[in-house]
Amino acid sequence: MQFGIFSVGDVTPDPTTGRTPTEGERIESMTRLALKTEEVGLDVFATGEHHNPPFVPSSPTTHLGFIAAQTEKLLLSTSTTLITTNDPVKIAEDYAMLQHLSRGRVDLMMGRGNTGPVYPWFGKDIRDGIPLAVENYHLLRRLWRERVVTWEGTYRTPLQGFTATPAPLDGTPPFVWHGSIRSPEIAEQAAYYGDGFFHNHIFWNKEHTQQMVALYRRRFEAYGHGAADQAIVGLGGQVFMADTEAEAKRVFRPYFDNAPVYGHGPSLEDFSELTPLTVGTPEQVIERTLGFADYVGDYQRQLFLVDHAGLPTDVVLEQVEILGREVVPVLREEFARRRPAHVPSDPPTHASLVAAGPESEHHLVAPVAERAQVDAVAGSTR
Amino acid sequence: MTRRLVVLAAGLAEPSSTRLLADQLADAVRAQVSSRGEDVSVDVLELRELAHDLATTMTSGGVPTPALSRARDLVSAADGMVAVTPVFSASYSGLFKMFVDALDPDALNGMPVLVAATAGTARHSLVLDHALRPLFTYLRAVVVPTGVFAATEDFGDAGLEERIRRAAAELAALLVGGSGGVGGFAPDLATRPRRSGSELPEPPAFESLLRGHAG
Repeated sequence: MQFGIFSVGDVTPDPTTGRTPTEGERIESMTRLALKTEEVGLDVFATGEHHNPPFVPSSPTTHLGFIAAQTEKLLLSTSTTLITTNDPVKIAEDYAMLQHLSRGRVDLMMGRGNTGPVYPWFGKDIRDGIPLAVENYHLLRRLWRERVVTWEGTYRTPLQGFTATPAPLDGTPPFVWHGSIRSPEIAEQAAYYGDGFFHNHIFWNKEHTQQMVALYRRRFEAYGHGAADQAIVGLGGQVFMADTEAEAKRVFRPYFDNAPVYGHGPSLEDFSELTPLTVGTPEQVIERTLGFADYVGDYQRQLFLVDHAGLPTDVVLEQVEILGREVVPVLREEFARRRPAHVPSDPPTHASLVAAGPESEHHLVAPVAERAQVDAVAGSTR
Repeated sequence: MTRRLVVLAAGLAEPSSTRLLADQLADAVRAQVSSRGEDVSVDVLELRELAHDLATTMTSGGVPTPALSRARDLVSAADGMVAVTPVFSASYSGLFKMFVDALDPDALNGMPVLVAATAGTARHSLVLDHALRPLFTYLRAVVVPTGVFAATEDFGDAGLEERIRRAAAELAALLVGGSGGVGGFAPDLATRPRRSGSELPEPPAFESLLRGHAG
């Protein structure tokens, strides 16, 4: 199972000092967070893509390339890449480039962004959110799997004999997750292609996350990629830890009470009960996180949000230390213990996808349709 | 078949004249349904008990608390509703509106609703027609013709009981009656199904989403 950090990249004043970091300082702190993630033995660092203040990360591949140069083993991912407002041609090329530079340490998560106004900023119409996600991703799959693409769609200029460069490393496209909080169509999309499904899980009640993941699993099986419990699921989570629960709450409370998302609203206690937010000891975090698998099933990737709401960099780095030293080793062992043998422990990686070979389902543009075609041909010659 | 009635009572005081009116309406509906040889179960939602849950939900991006989820499920599973609010500043109370705002837009499709209000003065009596009726019409509920307004002075007046009985009879007729049509021949007015907001809609099959986009 993979464990890691997903950063939101918000520039928020520290409520205990009133000081707001500069954008440069915030970007630097995200880099340090990524390096620390590798240093303590976690597997993944993921950054969001946002184009609206107070968020600073607008260019994930630039940042991840910089991090790739300073790391050896860390998997670089996104916690979202905007499939609606980015040009799929540019996504295909940017992430293939990153894949080469990092020697295959890349996967990415598709999403539709955190704000409606982003659509017109990039010349798109928000009413087309789902159709854009559908068309753009399908084109992206072709660009990564066919050397020469001739294509015509609704939302961008047609392509005539176009070749995206560079081609994916080893001719093997990066693994893709589809992230969605509430759109069943996106769970359906992930299931159709046999891609991963990620639920951000923070801010949401478990009943909701459970329904979204269950839908994806059910449809993954219906599309013939394997049994429902073998589908590739990732979850978010949000933690703050100290030696005692009281101390964790004392330190975190001012940040919680003033956080951009839930600040000035519910109490820390209410919100912790309502959502997966866990503020307490490492043992409490372990217990809570193990409980996630009770309602979504055995899953493959767990990302934690630790850097937001104005928390100082040194505090955030210490949180990652605790995760790496005390929490994740236990989680790895316990999750492995409860997972049945037929359920994959890890999501696909570059190495596993290369090993699966060029004939594997991953290399099909539309696995469901193409598999059906092959079956039909086999049937007619029988 | 036992019909399910849900009663919203948005009173804040203890004891509450709003709750008193709600109970009288519920009893009258029960009596009217029984007189038609049918049975009804009644669930009362004291919105005061959900005030904290509603504030938490509103300020946390719409994540419902478990108590609010239960209330929403109860509402959408009901066959009919009695909604009673005190009048604050010439309209329904903020608490009442917060609860209605927390319902799914499809929570009340085609549901028969009896609207009622309490106030200190008869000058507020048009609140039923100016505020409550449009609200429930917007939510595609079927509001019965008689609304029940009770100013403080009405609680000592026989006319209130008569209005309660008339409104209850109207609601009971809808609760028990159904569409009255033959299946497949008469249009079903409630074809748009109710949703409490707790369950995910089933997505369309992906091939249909992909149609026209596969270039």
